[in-house]
Amino acid sequence: MLKILIPTLLLIPTSWLAKAKWLWPTTLLHSFIITLFSLAWLKNTSETNWSTLNPYMATDPLSSPLLTLTCWLLPLMILASQNHLAQDPLVRQRIYITLLVTLQLSLIMAFAATELTMFYVMFETTLIPTLILITRWGNQMERLNAGTYFLFYTLASSLPLLITLLALQNKTGTLSLLIIQLLGPIPISPYVNIIWWTTSLLAFLVKMPLYGVHLWLPKAHVEAPIAGSMILAAVLLKLGGYGMMRMMLILSPLAKELCYPFIILALWGVLMTSSICLRQTDLKSLIAYSSVSHMGLVAAAILIQTPWGLTGALILMIAHGLTSSALFCLANTNYERTHSRTMILTRGSQMILPLMATWWLITCLANLALPPLPNLMGELIIISALLGWSWWTIIFTGAGALITATYSLYMYLMTQRGPVPNHMISMNPSHSREHLLLTLHLLPLLLLVFKPTTIWGSAY
Amino acid sequence: MNPYLLIVLLTSLGLGTALTLSSTHWLLAWLGLEVGTLAILPLMAQRHHPRATEAATKYFIVQATAAATLLFAAFNNAWLQGHSDIQHMSHPLFTSMITLALLLKLGLAPMHTWMPQVIQGVSLNTGLIVSTWQKIAPFILLLQIKQIHPPLLTIIGLASILIGGWGGLNQTQLRKILAYSSIAHLGWILLILQHSTALATYALLIYIFMTSATFITLKKCKATTINMLTTTWTKAPTITLVAPLMLLSLGGLPPLSGFAPKWFILQELTQLNFIPHASIAAMAALLSLSYYLRLSYSITLSLSPNNLPECLQWRVNYPISTPLSSALPAALALTLFLLPLTPSALTLII
Repeated sequence: MLKILIPTLLLIPTSWLAKAKWLWPTTLLHSFIITLFSLAWLKNTSETNWSTLNPYMATDPLSSPLLTLTCWLLPLMILASQNHLAQDPLVRQRIYITLLVTLQLSLIMAFAATELTMFYVMFETTLIPTLILITRWGNQMERLNAGTYFLFYTLASSLPLLITLLALQNKTGTLSLLIIQLLGPIPISPYVNIIWWTTSLLAFLVKMPLYGVHLWLPKAHVEAPIAGSMILAAVLLKLGGYGMMRMMLILSPLAKELCYPFIILALWGVLMTSSICLRQTDLKSLIAYSSVSHMGLVAAAILIQTPWGLTGALILMIAHGLTSSALFCLANTNYERTHSRTMILTRGSQMILPLMATWWLITCLANLALPPLPNLMGELIIISALLGWSWWTIIFTGAGALITATYSLYMYLMTQRGPVPNHMISMNPSHSREHLLLTLHLLPLLLLVFKPTTIWGSAY
Repeated sequence: MNPYLLIVLLTSLGLGTALTLSSTHWLLAWLGLEVGTLAILPLMAQRHHPRATEAATKYFIVQATAAATLLFAAFNNAWLQGHSDIQHMSHPLFTSMITLALLLKLGLAPMHTWMPQVIQGVSLNTGLIVSTWQKIAPFILLLQIKQIHPPLLTIIGLASILIGGWGGLNQTQLRKILAYSSIAHLGWILLILQHSTALATYALLIYIFMTSATFITLKKCKATTINMLTTTWTKAPTITLVAPLMLLSLGGLPPLSGFAPKWFILQELTQLNFIPHASIAAMAALLSLSYYLRLSYSITLSLSPNNLPECLQWRVNYPISTPLSSALPAALALTLFLLPLTPSALTLII
């Protein structure tokens, strides 16, 4: 663990001491090397599932794909931010990279934490760099409101989680995940267990986000700069999913009837948010609502607590992380050229930037869960698990899959096909950097087709 | 102010608190409190501005009332009990009376209305002293009184956190915001006072560091309203970088030190099964966080539409490094980085 944490920590002095010309290449290379080392986590060699164990941190098949995704995303974020920060003064570029690195550190420590208190502290720690990214480097006035919504939605739900964790420590004497998974059912009085269950999971449901408490997400995603959108979509939402999977171990006897309203809300949210995608004019907002829709499926799958559900949830989280981040990168290539997120104003890009259209096609196809990509794997496993739980859910999931396909194709056709607008006089050609960025998003997705067991999680 | 006069006043201030801290008899404790009150009055009124004079007058009346009530209750207790020991007070009525007097001195709800007006009326340095140093002596006396009626402290603590949160929401004057922040933090301290004196002391200590850092920062930026904060980036860019972290530490966000007292107070309350209290306190802290966030938006995270001449500060009028401003790095370091050191910090206090 230290071989990843210390280089990541030292990325901060790197970003401050590198010369101006070499700042971005150096940090990029440095973060790629860290990613290379983090790939070693994917091999789980332990009988008890916990490997790289030390008193405070460990990895297991649930957290290692998420950890690798987090480490994979840092070089991609650095790659994506290079262009829009080129006009900023050097100190601000260094501060930006430092923010990304502190976010990375807190995310690694959050996913690798064995003690739930450390997980909580790191979960909250991710809020400050993200807040600063959104409110300082966002581009419109609404970013301040977005930052406030983001901070307060997350905090209002995670403070009850803190109290629940403290109460849990009081009751069981420990908050270590290694021990809690071996404890029996926790005796709680019948009326209190509803509150217990809700407060434990509310923080993660808000983070995922669940449909009723999802308002922060479109605001935050739209107003954030590209690195902010990428990390939010790819990793921060998965923090909610990961937290839920960990907490539900502790809550299992209570969860039988209490999860019904949340499953229904999640499934209804899949339908609602994918429908609203069809009416969006703002491209980033469409991708944000698509994130809510996919995460609704993940939330429902985690809440039903079956092995297939958890497996499907993890696969979809990883696949959606890569896909959603790729979509935001594509939207950003549009934004950097036209400084507009309105879809009608940026149509017909296939005529102008044909290779980018290829990436748009592959990413939109991944978003609509085309076989054999892991997106489909995850969605299919989740749909099967939900079907096994109750066959009425096929209405929601089937309609959801249909509408997902519709809006993904809508997004592709709106941005790529159609007449090129008359006002677009000149567009910069695609940079190799952008091609590299998208390749690095899509290549893992394609490679995961061949070895999905890396992201299957510990249910198998 | 004349330096000799300043030395005399500051020494008397220190003497007053030291007297109270070292006393076991109520008379000496009262004496220390009064010396402290009298010493700070000239500091408050040194600007011959009506608001400063009004603030000094209000402060004097409030503190004198509290001290007189304290003395009255102490003498009645001595009459009934036969001794005037602080730590062995047992009469419930007079214990409550003394507690209320001390809470009036500290500025806790519902006896908080003087705080925003007083701190607004005085200069930033004096406001710092009123917010931090003047809280120590009453706090120590509160620690020593046993058998305070528990619901009293809990209700006043929770009310203070709520009022400190709600009161600061509509303010644009920074000193009033810091006054309400002080009320809220003292509410947290009061909540845990009856259960764990070590945690209360730790919370007070962290509060003093954070508030000192904030006041010194504001003094350096010469900012007294939210609008004046927006030109900080032209005067002191480094402070601009660090100020949001300092404010979010006041708000109690991990991984900054301000999270530590809140965490441990919530842990203690949960262990004693006061979960509703813990929940209300935790959620009310979000109210305070909203105005700290607003301040950090003004300082760093947004750029006000300023006049260009206001932004060009090539001829910088830096004040000579005052003793107070050289304390800023220490205060800031303690405000931001103390969370991982909490276990060792707690052992120092326990």
